[in-house]
Amino acid sequence: MKVLMIFDQIQSGQGGKENPNLPLGGKTMAIGSASMLGPILKKLGGVVVACLYCGDGYFKNNKEEVKFKITAMVKKINPDVVICGPAFNYAGYAEMCAVLAHEINEKTDIPAIAGMSKENERTILDHKDLIDIVVMPKKGGIGLTESLENICTLAKKIVDGEDTSEYAKQICY
Amino acid sequence: MFKLLEKLLMPAAEKLGKNKILIAIRDGFLISTPLLIVGSIFLLLANFPISGWEEFWTKILGEGWDMWFVNVSRATFGIIALLSCLGTGYAYAREIKGDKIQSAAVALVSFIILMPTCISFEGVKGSGTISALAFEYVGSNGIFLALIVSVVSVKIFNWAYEKGWTIKMPNGVPPAVADSFAALIPSSIVIGFFFLIRIGFEFTTFETAHKFIYTVLQMPLQGIGNTLGAQMVYSTFGSLFWFFGINGPAVTNTIFGPIMKVLTIENLEAFQAGLPLPNIFTGPFSDFFTCYGGGGSTLSLVIVMMLFCKSKRITQLGKLSIVPGIFGINEPIIFGLPIVLNPVLIVPFIVVPSVNLILSTFATNLGIIPYTTGVALPWTTPIGFSGYLATGSLVAGLWQIGLLILGCFIYYPFIKMLDKKYLKDEEEATNSESEIEDISFEDLSAEDF
Repeated sequence: MKVLMIFDQIQSGQGGKENPNLPLGGKTMAIGSASMLGPILKKLGGVVVACLYCGDGYFKNNKEEVKFKITAMVKKINPDVVICGPAFNYAGYAEMCAVLAHEINEKTDIPAIAGMSKENERTILDHKDLIDIVVMPKKGGIGLTESLENICTLAKKIVDGEDTSEYAKQICY
Repeated sequence: MFKLLEKLLMPAAEKLGKNKILIAIRDGFLISTPLLIVGSIFLLLANFPISGWEEFWTKILGEGWDMWFVNVSRATFGIIALLSCLGTGYAYAREIKGDKIQSAAVALVSFIILMPTCISFEGVKGSGTISALAFEYVGSNGIFLALIVSVVSVKIFNWAYEKGWTIKMPNGVPPAVADSFAALIPSSIVIGFFFLIRIGFEFTTFETAHKFIYTVLQMPLQGIGNTLGAQMVYSTFGSLFWFFGINGPAVTNTIFGPIMKVLTIENLEAFQAGLPLPNIFTGPFSDFFTCYGGGGSTLSLVIVMMLFCKSKRITQLGKLSIVPGIFGINEPIIFGLPIVLNPVLIVPFIVVPSVNLILSTFATNLGIIPYTTGVALPWTTPIGFSGYLATGSLVAGLWQIGLLILGCFIYYPFIKMLDKKYLKDEEEATNSESEIEDISFEDLSAEDF
């Protein structure tokens, strides 16, 4: 299972909140937070083949461009599944995850899922019927390992073509 | 091993993190934090750690000028128990979804009910009494009682409210008026309860609830908290939780917060009174002599990343993280390197603060660095300044720099391990013809869209 991940500036290891205008970029390897998923994916026979990133401020100001280019890049890299997140309670990043996951699902044959904490109420409400948003703890909250296992398992089930509706009900919003 | 640890730690973290009383106590202190910092600035101005400061200003402003400033510090940390009572009452009511401001007010009144309000004194004309609240009861000595009273009174108040024991006003009465009538019966139940408690204590050898709680609870807990062992537990768990993605200090502070607060204010009160400082393990000691650049003392790590690592990812993140790191912010490192779920880096992440803690404790005991005065500084105060301002000694600032360098040595082998791996990944990616390491969005062509 080839996984592509989408990050903001913090999760990609490209700076902090003071660096929101990080333009679109990526690496063909696991960077930043991707290493948190590494061991779990390995067990499921998965690997992170690429990580794309974009500052949350850059996304906010250039939504159409980011949607367009990320979707094109996802098509080009052609992974089996895209994981957007974990977005914790970073509001801008959570919205980016939801919007991009939806866009990728709409415009490509590659499935995309997102993960964020319940604090992103608005984003969750707007997108939960459109995409699978896995429940995650907020930044510094309890239950990270479990939620990472959940998101990886969901990705695996989707890639294997299983019916995920029951499972998604348990772990998604 | 991490699986086992997770199994053991998670339930504890969850219980502590979800306990409404502990959350209320933790958040209740937050309302006093900015006030303590401002109060400390006034205290610092009155006692700036430069020789000749006091004499210099006395010449200009006249005798007693420092009292102008002391009045402000008394109005802040001198009434810390009142502030804690109010803050905790408010936060607890918020947690249990009660009437926040009314609950806070009831908590404050309950606390004062338990306090002596008639104070005897020896004057030139003989002994007499005066109607007053002694700072002795509203300062650090009263913190624990304030917390207990606050939680109990809010609990009773909201319980009576939920029972529906309220006076209901007819429709059309403005909400503010209706609310105050609704609070009447619950308030009287709470006040009646503490009235009886006060009388009850007068029949015991403790005489007041203050003396009872101070002797049986506050003193022993303070004693335990003021040991290197307890501080090691605080520091180790604070770091260890981060491995599982949990904000460690947020969990450990639910227990250690009140104790550290008392230890800090005791030093501040002694400092203000010109007495020897009693405690080593104050909040500023923990903030400024154990961790530099955020949890795990990651400023040392960032320096090593920036100066001695070779992989692009690590050096770049190092450069990006140095400025926030100087101000104690390490979010980019925690999630971007990451520290979370990274078995290599968790080792120095725990070890460096522990080493700092042990060495700083010895240095304080040996008199190399002075005790912290308890002056509250923003936790974002940069290294060097923070040590100087927290103790009034330049040596303490230099000591911090020394620990920062030592931290670099401890982090070095661990981050180099990771650096080597990343460098290999990067080289492999560059050498491979089919794949390029950096993904450039400029390379997208028409058919990609």
